[in-house]
Amino acid sequence: MKLRRVFAIAALVLLPFVLAAAAVVGVLFARQGGFAPYRVPHGGGRAVAGDAATIARGEYLARLGDCVACHTTRGGAPLAGGRAFATGIGTVYSSNLTPDRDHGIGDWSADEFAHAMRHGVARRGPLYPVFPYAHFAGVSDADLDAIYAWLRAQPASDFVPPPNRLEAPADSRRALIGWRMLYYRPDQTAPLDPSDRGRYLVEGLGHCAMCHSARGERGSLPPEGHFAGGVIPGVGWYAPPLDSVQLQRYSEQQLADYLRDGTSPHGSAYGPMAEVAYASLRWLTSEDALAIARHLKQIAPSPLRPQPTAVAAQTDASGKGADVYARACADCHGKNGEGENGAYPPLRDAVAVTAPDPINAVRMVLYGGMEVTTTGNPRPHSMPPFVQQLDSAEVAAVVNHIRRTWGGQDSRLTDDDVDAMHGIVID
Amino acid sequence: MQKLLAFALLLYATAPLADEGVGERLAACVACHGKSGEGVRGAEYYPHLAGKPAGYLFEQLKGFRDGRRVNPQMAWLVQFADDTWLREIADYYAALPPRAHAADTGADALTPERRERAERLVREGDPVRNVPACSACHGANLAGLEPGIPATVGLPADYIVAQFGHWRDGVRHAIEPDCMREVARAIAPEDIRAIATWLSQQSNPEGTRPAPAGSFTPPTSCGALHTETTR
Repeated sequence: MKLRRVFAIAALVLLPFVLAAAAVVGVLFARQGGFAPYRVPHGGGRAVAGDAATIARGEYLARLGDCVACHTTRGGAPLAGGRAFATGIGTVYSSNLTPDRDHGIGDWSADEFAHAMRHGVARRGPLYPVFPYAHFAGVSDADLDAIYAWLRAQPASDFVPPPNRLEAPADSRRALIGWRMLYYRPDQTAPLDPSDRGRYLVEGLGHCAMCHSARGERGSLPPEGHFAGGVIPGVGWYAPPLDSVQLQRYSEQQLADYLRDGTSPHGSAYGPMAEVAYASLRWLTSEDALAIARHLKQIAPSPLRPQPTAVAAQTDASGKGADVYARACADCHGKNGEGENGAYPPLRDAVAVTAPDPINAVRMVLYGGMEVTTTGNPRPHSMPPFVQQLDSAEVAAVVNHIRRTWGGQDSRLTDDDVDAMHGIVID
Repeated sequence: MQKLLAFALLLYATAPLADEGVGERLAACVACHGKSGEGVRGAEYYPHLAGKPAGYLFEQLKGFRDGRRVNPQMAWLVQFADDTWLREIADYYAALPPRAHAADTGADALTPERRERAERLVREGDPVRNVPACSACHGANLAGLEPGIPATVGLPADYIVAQFGHWRDGVRHAIEPDCMREVARAIAPEDIRAIATWLSQQSNPEGTRPAPAGSFTPPTSCGALHTETTR
């Protein structure tokens, strides 16, 4: 009797909390789209045109979406999946998109494909947000259908990508519903207006914000960090902000040419951007490249973007950095970091030099690089790796020198910092 | 006669020059492979490239790009290069004079017994294990055979040992049939170091170039014999 009364009082006291919790869960669930994303359409439905013109258009759009790059391993069958993506919670492997009925998506209807692209949910459950469905949600029906038609026309592969290796609870696809409730806001990814071509490509298939935004907790992309730049999860490279301030030094035409050629008077694509240029952007029509450039150049700076530093050029008291620079760098990049147009990028105002994170500069010095081959730059220049010639203290000194002198960055790298950045990140 | 001269002139005009600024574009290669692809003196690991068959070099560059060979630094540099550019890089190094000097690896001198064993393996192979002689494919002078078999003379010993390891472990692949995989798996492990050291001590003072395709016939029809030529 006594016990029952205790329970009754406890229930009365707790009821408001339980109701409040239920209301919060309800609101969060509604904000991620309610039940609709989990109603995956199976089979049947519309037929999609598979004529040559549609397939060709689908190929172009798939290139802009860079599907092949993520869904192919080095040397593997195209689109058969298996490329590893390191995340904070483990490794996710991309899936097989070929028309194989058992191992690919050969069994999927156009509706099921469009649903996965729009909502990030497939028949096996919610997809991990390394797949940029929040961007693809805004892509038009006609464009998704064309991509579907192109995918159907590719050779099937029975390759089975390795299973994901994830920590609990992220290894459960149900846990992704929780993540979506906390971080996924489909109302922000309303259909994009295809007539606003630049924005349509940048925010849609281009999914530029996947790398060029500041990440929030658990790999989320909060709206205030949109295009604020940041360190790319998994690979560690720093992607600069994309806005009117960052891109001021490019004319619209220069930026459009950079996208298609992988090189410009202000520098060349390297790291993950080199892959994007090689696998995707070099196929852009000149009109689309210009539309993208115009859109990017008028994006208002995010409040989270790093503020351009007002630190005056500082010199390195020991002179060691300047010494290494004169010995190893000045031949190509010039005494004053001015570079040589068409051959060696200028260092003054280069992203690697002005970025708040020194990782790009350190990696370039350690491992060098080669520009991508494109129609506009078929015989690219390259930069030697210095990892055999300079020790970590020398790398730290020269990067500090460059970033202080031409980047306004109060760079204080030590040899230990450089040691920690060793290692080529490849796939 | 005039026609012939005009034709010759035309040929001359259209023939690609040895170096249309290719060298200056390949600054990245110099750090490990030397200014003229001759390798770097000192503690050597990296192979020299100069004078090797263009077809061989092209196949290796594609291999690093597409995952048939594994070396992170090489993959890093060539991963976004198309075939046309890789062909040009291969042609550039193939046209340079082969390195004359032996690798300066500081490898321990071989004992007379090991030296004798290595030389016999290079010249005669190991019939017991069904290993062909190196010279049967790489040439009596070990200067290689167009279009796909490289010179082995003067390669750094550690590099050669590493390649045998890569073939045994299945991380280096040549065009099938991949004869070197079979050789690497058949050969006695203790013989690999002996051969590698012996090869590293050989020089090519005359700068002998790879033998022309078909000038001798290797014992097996390896994939390397059918390497795609660059022109």
